[in-house]
Amino acid sequence: MTVRRRRVVGSVLCAAVGLLAAGTASAHGGSLAGGGRETLTVPTWLFLSTGGAAVGASFLLASFVTDRSFIERVHAWGVPLASGGERGLVLAGRAVGLVGLVAILVTGFLGPTNARTNLAILLVWVGWWAGLAMTTYLLGNTWSVLNPWKTLAGLLPSLDRAYPDRIGAWPGVAGLLALVWVEVVSPLADDPRLLATVVVAYSVVTLAGAVVFGPATWFDRVDPVERVFRYYGRVAPVGRGDDGYRLRLPGMDLSTARLVDGADEVAFIVALLWVTTYDGLVTTPAWRDLTTPLVAAGLPAHLLYPLALVAGFGLFLGVYRLAVRAARRTAETYLAPAVLARRFAPPLLAIAAGYHFAHYLGYFLVLAPSLAVALADPLGSPALVPVLDLPGWFGGVALASVVVGHLVAIWVAHAAAYDLFPARLQAVRSQYPFIAVMVFYTMTSLWVVSRPEVPLPHL
Amino acid sequence: MSDTRLDDGVDTVPRSDAAYDVPEGATTYECGYCGRPFARESWLALHRGLEHPGALTDAEVAAFRTAHADEEESLGTFRLKALGSLILLYFGLLMVYALV
Repeated sequence: MTVRRRRVVGSVLCAAVGLLAAGTASAHGGSLAGGGRETLTVPTWLFLSTGGAAVGASFLLASFVTDRSFIERVHAWGVPLASGGERGLVLAGRAVGLVGLVAILVTGFLGPTNARTNLAILLVWVGWWAGLAMTTYLLGNTWSVLNPWKTLAGLLPSLDRAYPDRIGAWPGVAGLLALVWVEVVSPLADDPRLLATVVVAYSVVTLAGAVVFGPATWFDRVDPVERVFRYYGRVAPVGRGDDGYRLRLPGMDLSTARLVDGADEVAFIVALLWVTTYDGLVTTPAWRDLTTPLVAAGLPAHLLYPLALVAGFGLFLGVYRLAVRAARRTAETYLAPAVLARRFAPPLLAIAAGYHFAHYLGYFLVLAPSLAVALADPLGSPALVPVLDLPGWFGGVALASVVVGHLVAIWVAHAAAYDLFPARLQAVRSQYPFIAVMVFYTMTSLWVVSRPEVPLPHL
Repeated sequence: MSDTRLDDGVDTVPRSDAAYDVPEGATTYECGYCGRPFARESWLALHRGLEHPGALTDAEVAAFRTAHADEEESLGTFRLKALGSLILLYFGLLMVYALV
């Protein structure tokens, strides 16, 4: 993520939580020319406690809902959507995806080198990673159709080698961490040539994998990008049921029993949460101060970043597993830890989606006019690029999305616990450790955005 | 667990041995319909009523009713505590904000 992007992210989120903390709007979030993260008007500990308390209070509120049949009704509610003309839509979607990929490669290698006018940069970061990802959890997952590599892989022959079951989604977890590592340590959002090169590298790996194991296996089980979008799509109101598409309440699909099917998939969800934190963590002064002696002592900087990425992921996953163990005690249940881990991981996706929205809505709106200009003239390099100025109250939207993400997550976990345990108090008690974990994740993220931002050290 | 619920609750063993993890020497009350172990008898009674409503004997129905009534009572106490915590949290933070 570029420094510029981080600034938008930081100021919007800080303004958001600043609103929550102080009750006053004092920020102008989302200006590209704006300074670093907003300074808080309250002490950090109070800012963090307020964020944690908001999560705790949401849990207490959810625990007042004790009517089983009401909870089941809410989760079972759904309207089948009229189908028809799907074939044409799918073909059109695939064509759009392929055109997008070609546009990224052409403008990435041949377009202007200015990141603010280059279509490849704007299309990948603004159009795809901000815009399309937002539509994925707000409406529904379209990436499974748009995905140009899937379309291409369908045209290639396949060796259909058996995929080793025991490694499951772990290569996907590693792939997600690797993609984030490349994104953080390299100027991927500033250098169109580099971005196009990475896209080519990703294409080679993806297509090779799809040829060896078959496209269905590869995109279902390995490809991390496909999995991120599929999981985000579970938060969305439009989803696929047993018989066609249907409209549900947002997030309700997350309480489905067999959504996540193993420790590997749990790990992927935790990784998705961790990488949003890591992204900001490495630009805090605390990170710089902590790592300076390490680098001075001879630890190579290019090893430091992946090490920290993996260690932090291990910490987040360890904390989650501890929570699972603790939940077995607080709920006095004989269900195996793996059963609880699988069941209570999907709600975390709503939190991840909430943070993604808070991070990227401002970024998307500010740069959407630039994207439109670049789309109209892909190879041109206008001197003046239009950007949108966001009003001061905009931070409130980001705040709301963080809060809504937590509310949905707590509600879904509440419903899953009711489904899992016969006694309602037992269900409530099973949630104590998970709520503690959510508080931990939230406070970590809030702490990161409340720090002043420094350039990536040692690189 | 909903996995076993799919089996209609009749004469089933858990599909995988890993579904339950009972510590050695722990007291268990096992469901006669699906084999799921519980730590308390009242939870087993509730479980039978919720998961196997069609198959219960009269004694099991009575046990479910009693357990359900007890649960309602303890939920009432819990709600009061939760409300108290909410109020404490709210006013606690309010005070802190007034002081700093």
